[in-house]
Amino acid sequence: MDIQGRNTVCCGENVEMLDMDEENFAVSSSSSADTAFDAIIGCIEDIIMEEEFQQLQQCFMEKHYLEFDDSDENKLSYTPIFNEYVDLLEKHLEQQLMERIPDFNMNNFIELLMQHKEEVPGDIFDMLLTFTDFMAFKEMFLEYRAEKEGRGLDLSQGLVVTSLIPAGSKHTGSIESQ
Amino acid sequence: MGLLTILKKMKQKEREMRLLMLGLDNAGKTTILKKFNGEDVSTISPTLGFNIKTLEHKGFKLNIWDVGGQKSLRSYWRNYFESTDGLVWVVDSADRLRLEDCRKELSALLLEERLAGATLLVFANKQDLPGALSKEAIREALVLDEIKSHHWCIIGCSAVSGENLLAGVDWLLDDIAARIFTAD
Repeated sequence: MDIQGRNTVCCGENVEMLDMDEENFAVSSSSSADTAFDAIIGCIEDIIMEEEFQQLQQCFMEKHYLEFDDSDENKLSYTPIFNEYVDLLEKHLEQQLMERIPDFNMNNFIELLMQHKEEVPGDIFDMLLTFTDFMAFKEMFLEYRAEKEGRGLDLSQGLVVTSLIPAGSKHTGSIESQ
Repeated sequence: MGLLTILKKMKQKEREMRLLMLGLDNAGKTTILKKFNGEDVSTISPTLGFNIKTLEHKGFKLNIWDVGGQKSLRSYWRNYFESTDGLVWVVDSADRLRLEDCRKELSALLLEERLAGATLLVFANKQDLPGALSKEAIREALVLDEIKSHHWCIIGCSAVSGENLLAGVDWLLDDIAARIFTAD
């Protein structure tokens, strides 16, 4: 019901924006709440791209990877590990946001998020969702384990490296001859 | 509830459903799951953990969770209740000796707060076996008519032949969809 009201307001803004279109004023129409929202989304983006975040994930995987087997059936023990993982990332995100944004309030942000969900960049949304997807979580662990045990994706098997230089010929000039 | 959990819930509203399949061991849960997913069902061993399949059906994305049913595993079921839209309770219709056990486990589940909003589908499985009880007999043994807290339906089926599996899932989807997606 709330959303209905918002839409109406948005429509009104759109009409105004259309009127001013020639002068390109559309950009300036966002409210301060929108700006605050965009700033938080930008901040989340920064946080999950940072080294510290990756290290958190690495560290977690290092601790638990031996528990994960590459079989279709999942062990019951995966579930508490998964819950711990979501919790860990969630806490980190929240803590970082609070450090970076002076009066950050998670509940307010979540409310904003519900109102603006169409505006969250798809890739950020998807990335955050991946953190809560059990199958993606399991896959990440299996890949980590495979890599640890030297069974990682070996690209060299799919690539055949053939020298363009006929055996015995001199190395120089090979680039030009391509 | 944290940010990620909330994001997930927001996303799930978009024609996605979570189904939880439970029942005593040897009821045929994994066979149903695999049959429904078009996999080979000739060599299925007892589930000690859990299986997940994600499939598209009637324009919905179904996330089906099947958790092992052995007595020692049943206390773990609760870890899978969260966000369940539909509960599929699978019964071995030929296992007369454990019907009372089956009734008790189901009635305990229906008291769970986190399953309060879920639709219940009971599969009276193994109808292809000679000694199988009819779905009416199962309905009586499990005292389903007493259930007022959940929408429910019982369907006789055979996981091995695949008979009636679709009919059951279709009913479940329709009921959940009517509840969730038209309420908005």
